[in-house]
Amino acid sequence: MSELFRQPVFGVFITLFAFYIAQAIRKRSTNVLLNPVLVAVSLIILVLILFDISFKDYNEGGRFLTFFLGPSVVSLGVLFYEKYKEIKHNFLPFFISVLTGGSLAIVSVAVIAIMLHAPEIITRSLASKSVTTPIAIEVTQILKGIPSITAGVVIAVGIFGNAFGPGILKFLGIRSKHALGTALGTAAHGIGTARALEEGTLAGAYSGLAMCVNGILTAVAAPYFTEWILKLMM
Amino acid sequence: MLRSLFYIFLFLFAGEAVRYLFDLMIPGNVIAMMLIFIALKARVIKLETVRPASDKLIKYMVLFFVPYGVGLMEFGDVIKDNWLSIIVAVVASTIITLYVTAIVEQKLEKNE
Repeated sequence: MSELFRQPVFGVFITLFAFYIAQAIRKRSTNVLLNPVLVAVSLIILVLILFDISFKDYNEGGRFLTFFLGPSVVSLGVLFYEKYKEIKHNFLPFFISVLTGGSLAIVSVAVIAIMLHAPEIITRSLASKSVTTPIAIEVTQILKGIPSITAGVVIAVGIFGNAFGPGILKFLGIRSKHALGTALGTAAHGIGTARALEEGTLAGAYSGLAMCVNGILTAVAAPYFTEWILKLMM
Repeated sequence: MLRSLFYIFLFLFAGEAVRYLFDLMIPGNVIAMMLIFIALKARVIKLETVRPASDKLIKYMVLFFVPYGVGLMEFGDVIKDNWLSIIVAVVASTIITLYVTAIVEQKLEKNE
């Protein structure tokens, strides 16, 4: 039996199937916990456990899908160009706020994790938690963390930002829609951007652009920042 | 579609080449993302040339990271032992990031 599941076609098939079901559920309910990735991942893990299939066998097929994360990141550059035109006139305040927030995201998660005595490998896996998954995974690979933990945490952060971000920001006295969008994109990448879009197309544009800018910032700075903090605090 | 896909992979390869040649600690695909933005801005390539492929890739990006999510099943023990510090660090850091980003943007906007 395991011969069959080791075929790459199994991993591709089960992933497409689970994702198709997850999308169908999304169409019926917009509950943030029914996030398609979360549902698809849970379904696949369930199937793998039920049929006693190892992740290694599953990933013989899974990695063919993972491969497309590379070109997807390139596509974000195209998205960046489209959105950039919309907010060009207000770029500097936007840029400074993403730089500040994005740097603080890397530093704060590492400092808090170390203070809570998390193992070093966990701290290394959390550094890129605010940025879009494909970039986050690359950063974790550079930092020698565990990419799967990063993937899980990144999705969780997105869902958290999507569900609670606007509420938290309004509670803390943020009224500007631009600020709301910028914050959601910086802290909670694509899943946060989906929520910003619900607040309006301009908030969505700010959010999408913030996601791209923080992606670049984190890719460049997170490995250095994290190594420094680890050296200082451990 | 084929032509736009060709351009996406051309830039991806260029990004990987830059990373390899200069031995950078930045992912090749992130370099490629900056290169394609510069090329669009400098009008070396047109938006319509790359959009058919880029729109589709972005639309299905979430599908492509599902296998990494499934990989979590391999690390049940690591997560079980550290779940509290992971949750506290991630939630606190996310709230700080949200607030600081928003307040800086709001303040700077007003002062314009």
